[in-house]
Amino acid sequence: MRAVRTLVARVLEAVLVVVVMASIVFFAMRLLPGDPARLVLGDEADEASLAPLRHKLGLDAPLYMQYARFLKGLFTLDLGESLRHPGESAASRVAESIGPTAQLAALAVAIGAALGVVAAVLGAGPWLGERKRWIDRAATAVAATPLLSFAPLVTFALAARLRVVPLPGDPDSGFGGLLFASSLLAIPLGAQVARVSRAALDEVARSQFLTVARAKGATAARTWIVHALPASAGPIVTVVASQLGALLGGAVVLERLFERPGLGSLILESYSTRDLPVLEAAIVAAGAFFVAAQIAAALAHAAIDPRVRR
Amino acid sequence: MRRRILRLVPVTALLAISAAFALASNNPDHLDLTASFAAPSAGSLLGHGEAGVDLAAVVPHAVLRGTALAIVVAVIGFAVGAPLGAFAAISRGRLERFVDRACDLVQSFPSFLLALAVLSAVRSPNRIHLACVFLLTAWAPFARLSLTQARVLRGAAFVEAAQALGATQARVLLSHVLPNVMGPLAVQLGATASAIIVSEAALSFVGLGPRDGVSLGSVLDQGVYSMLLAPHVLVVGSVAVFITSLSLLIAGRAAEGERR
Repeated sequence: MRAVRTLVARVLEAVLVVVVMASIVFFAMRLLPGDPARLVLGDEADEASLAPLRHKLGLDAPLYMQYARFLKGLFTLDLGESLRHPGESAASRVAESIGPTAQLAALAVAIGAALGVVAAVLGAGPWLGERKRWIDRAATAVAATPLLSFAPLVTFALAARLRVVPLPGDPDSGFGGLLFASSLLAIPLGAQVARVSRAALDEVARSQFLTVARAKGATAARTWIVHALPASAGPIVTVVASQLGALLGGAVVLERLFERPGLGSLILESYSTRDLPVLEAAIVAAGAFFVAAQIAAALAHAAIDPRVRR
Repeated sequence: MRRRILRLVPVTALLAISAAFALASNNPDHLDLTASFAAPSAGSLLGHGEAGVDLAAVVPHAVLRGTALAIVVAVIGFAVGAPLGAFAAISRGRLERFVDRACDLVQSFPSFLLALAVLSAVRSPNRIHLACVFLLTAWAPFARLSLTQARVLRGAAFVEAAQALGATQARVLLSHVLPNVMGPLAVQLGATASAIIVSEAALSFVGLGPRDGVSLGSVLDQGVYSMLLAPHVLVVGSVAVFITSLSLLIAGRAAEGERR
């Protein structure tokens, strides 16, 4: 019963986050100095051409009417028509670009979590001996290196110079390109996961059930992977969830770097061409995508760790 | 103690070198079309970028302006967040729960997305716009840390003693609680400043940076664009982002473990 109530609270909170995000976009566009219609057509545009555009964007109605219409559009997924590609709805442009970004982010989460957990288990277990310390140092160093400062360099070295990986922006690059882009995005995440999982494993290491497992004669691998790891799943899932926002920002940077189609590219393209309906829809979609991922993380946490469900 | 002070060395050195180069070099807007994408040489240590801008002029200016922005935002975030969190902790009850939850929400918010959302309404953002956008989320980690720290302190004997002696809420907060939560908050100051350097660079990399174009992100953007022609631009931009963010991160840790 409590699990259901928590879930309902989470979903309500998620809806609230999306509505707040959407409202910020809506009001920023209308209340900050500068006429959105002039933003689209430029300063030299005359009244005769501005009036139809204002009408099309609904800017001639009073603000509360515009807001009501916007909220209705939000819930019916109808946020108007693209200004630059007439005949295409903003929602359909968003729908076709969310797939590539979702693939990129999902693969990055999978790779990052796997990398981090492997590094943490190696760092906690007895296999590496004195060299264990290097894992901690590497994780700290990688966590302090911003994606922005290594992704372009690695791309230059591996894709442009050595040509060992395909450029992810190339439509023919296929899975190899996706894998390369996701791996770049996964590296900072992996470092964070490694640090948190290591701390969680050290915490578990002192508990009695691990002593029992060792006393039964379980191998080190069995002790750490079968007994200790599931008990540390909570912090691991939580750190992944807390990094999702940064991951989304990283995805925008990488899409720009590789000129790869996706939600980030759509946001930047509609920003530079002043395609306001698409821009609004894309930002709202990105917000919704983010909270959906957060809820998925909360559900995964509850599925792995029975203590959360109680 | 000496080791902690050593942690201020990288950022001081970086700023001093940047200031020296910024004073000695050309105006960062100065263009020299004949030197477009010229490689580093004795005359220009870092080489030239797009349309012949001198990187030895642009990078120091960008580092100084970016660091100034980062420090201002981090300090304001600190000045808002630290008292808010500590006050919420000593007043307990509903306010405490509200601030706690608000921090959770804001901290997990995709701040880069929020920046895109707000900046998209501005035709060409300047650094004040950027600072306002960063401040929307920058206060939260400070409030969260100060809340957790003050929760421990509020049960401490010296706080109870002050309250029993009839000290006002404000006095307890200012002279007993806040001074004792400063250590971890100073570390956060460095982490926030470092994150803002990276965010500012990321925003200008994707084309939403400050309108003067003097930013490490636009150097990176030029570098990506001219990757095959002039790789030095990309290397200079990446290394500059890395050094600036890392030296701020290390500087924050100078106050680590400082207790009064």
